[in-house]
Amino acid sequence: MEKTTHFGFKDVATDDKQGLVRGVFDSVASKYDLMNDVLSFGAHRLWKRYTIASSNVKAGDKVLDIAGGTGDLAIEFRKKVGDSGQVILSDINAAMLDEGRKNLINNGIFGVEFVQLNAQKIPFADNTFDCVSIAFGLRNVTDKDQALAEMHRILKPGGCLLILEFSKTDSELLKKFYDFYSFNVMPKLGGIIADDEDSYQYLAESIRKHPDQETLKSMVLDAGFGFCEYHNLSGGIVALHKGIKV
Amino acid sequence: MQHFVLEQALNYLIDQGKADLGALNDKTLYFSLEDLPLDVNFVCTNERIFVTTDTSAGADVDIKLKSSVFLALFQGEDLTELLRQDKIIIHGDVKTAQLLVDLLQQIDIDFEEILSKYTGDIVAHQVGKLAKNFKASNNPLETIKNEITTLFVAPSESVLFKNKGS
Repeated sequence: MEKTTHFGFKDVATDDKQGLVRGVFDSVASKYDLMNDVLSFGAHRLWKRYTIASSNVKAGDKVLDIAGGTGDLAIEFRKKVGDSGQVILSDINAAMLDEGRKNLINNGIFGVEFVQLNAQKIPFADNTFDCVSIAFGLRNVTDKDQALAEMHRILKPGGCLLILEFSKTDSELLKKFYDFYSFNVMPKLGGIIADDEDSYQYLAESIRKHPDQETLKSMVLDAGFGFCEYHNLSGGIVALHKGIKV
Repeated sequence: MQHFVLEQALNYLIDQGKADLGALNDKTLYFSLEDLPLDVNFVCTNERIFVTTDTSAGADVDIKLKSSVFLALFQGEDLTELLRQDKIIIHGDVKTAQLLVDLLQQIDIDFEEILSKYTGDIVAHQVGKLAKNFKASNNPLETIKNEITTLFVAPSESVLFKNKGS
């Protein structure tokens, strides 16, 4: 019997999910940053700034940003690690990496390396990185446990994993607003701005299918991390999970 | 969020070369306050310190104390003296605990502000005043006795309420 997984609210063959997610990001890549600004009212910049501040990354560190897309985190990591460090911006999607490359050049950032990779099979040796980050990418990964195990493998002992992702809010009022906004406003804006309503419908659905804060924390610990904690941002609409490999 | 501030401050010290993590490397120290819901692990690894609220994993050293003693400690009170007075309980290597305390004493951070997130600003400020008074006294036990007496007899004269509202 064919294995299935979720793609938004739909059940699809596990082998098909990667291609479907690629289709979404091929479609939205050129308008990705603009859409993030519009849909989050600019809050995604604050969430990412908090993520960078939480990283404890310092000069000389090696950092891998997975599903790094247009390079928001990579730009800031590059500033922190300096010339003695190394930042690799990676994404499974070539169109997103192209946008990232353009974005870095436009920001005058050089020295970042680009790698197209699958988070479930990361092509780096064990114990390589001081920090691995994935922002708004984990929910699109088919086998999240496998991806977390890979992130653990490539981190040095004492290395830090940062997962910034949509999560669950405890506030009933906020939840009602958020549900209305996600399923009624976001897809429409996606249709108007990016000419792609379906991809933003998927975005809203994929957020609902993503594990909640405590479940993801357990998954991080199960992957082998010695410590994991999370911080809710914007009332839990987004959460930053931080794992430490010991 | 408060431990985030602590983590940033500690790592800033380390980055500036003002603190050496050498002897603390690969050690985890559990730090808890008996009277406030503040317990954190200081994970010293990879030439940096992570201050995490995930305390499920075991630590090399456990440090337990009250909030007033916590403030006194970071206002320069001697760890050994506090240990002698049983005001602080350490399970594990005391030297390792001392290294962490030395590091914490170096950071320029308002610990009253950190505690205020747990207790409310006024209570934290009052605990802080008590701690300062405790530290300044040559006879801490006598100071506490006097303070309790003042509280019962003339509360407005107590260090806890003096200048309140000024």
